[in-house]
Amino acid sequence: MRRTILHLITVSSILAAGCAQETVNIDVMHDEGKPVMALDYRDFDLAASQLTQSLLGSGALKKEGGGRTVVARGRIVNDTMQRIDTSQLMSKIEIEILRSGQAVMTRAIGSDADKLLREGRELRDDEEFDASTIPERGTLQMFDFSIKGKIFQRNIRYDKNRQQVEYYFQLSLSDSVSGLTFWQDEVIVGKRGSNKSVAW
Amino acid sequence: MKTITNILLFVVAVVLAGCFEKPDSRIHLREQIRSDSLADNIVTRPVAHAFSALIGESIEITQAVMRRNDAGLLELYVNGYNRSYQTKRFRYRVEWLDDSGLLIQSKTSVWLPASAMGKSPFSLKAVAPTPKAVNFRMDTRKWE
Repeated sequence: MRRTILHLITVSSILAAGCAQETVNIDVMHDEGKPVMALDYRDFDLAASQLTQSLLGSGALKKEGGGRTVVARGRIVNDTMQRIDTSQLMSKIEIEILRSGQAVMTRAIGSDADKLLREGRELRDDEEFDASTIPERGTLQMFDFSIKGKIFQRNIRYDKNRQQVEYYFQLSLSDSVSGLTFWQDEVIVGKRGSNKSVAW
Repeated sequence: MKTITNILLFVVAVVLAGCFEKPDSRIHLREQIRSDSLADNIVTRPVAHAFSALIGESIEITQAVMRRNDAGLLELYVNGYNRSYQTKRFRYRVEWLDDSGLLIQSKTSVWLPASAMGKSPFSLKAVAPTPKAVNFRMDTRKWE
């Protein structure tokens, strides 16, 4: 009897191991995996690519008389039901802005500001630091443009069994002096799937 | 008699040709929107669709034009035509090459979706990520 139970446990274990889903690495360059209802990296790649091409192609970043435009990252609002780090979108766009040679990003100010830039300047009276290595006053540069944006989601009941989820990626570029918007665009990613799929 | 018949046929042909207004090629009227004709009507349409599917008509690229924009970046405009009667969905990826023919790494070179309705022209546009780009290569794949 005891032996039979042991045999059963062994056979069950082997069967269970055979059913387990194998973990595989995703080929992020040529991913042929099925789409998912939530936002995945492919959606961010798509949105970032289209928004970047639109921004660079608009010529809005080109500085008259040469030189590089300074751009600050403004607030990117996540108004979806998912927990998203908006850097997933913005870092891709900023990489391409820098590569384009048209503009540079500033971390002195903005939603992604580097606090160390200011903290370093607060050490001017600290005798522990060589004063000549601390930046002088008035060395930080004001930005020419700021980028702000929003990612939001709309869930729509498509039919009895299916839902439609629409994701909107919106970005705009505004002049720091006049406040005028020189570029704005939107990318829509739409998905239609089972009601049972959860889009958050 | 034969000469008279020929002249009459010629006159009829000229009159018919005069009545036929050549449509503006910039305006595309689809099936069941435009008027039926002898070659395209409720009887011949299913045959034409079946034949098109049988011979595997699909996407064709008619033109690829590059130009440098005001910001000094290369822009690619690809024009094509969907010869099939079905809407064709596909993905495409444009990669940019420098003057040595080497690939320029870019976050914009990802698989992007595109679709073209049946028997319709379509256009794609891509902007190079850097002024160093002098050429491109484009790949396509099925929309999964």
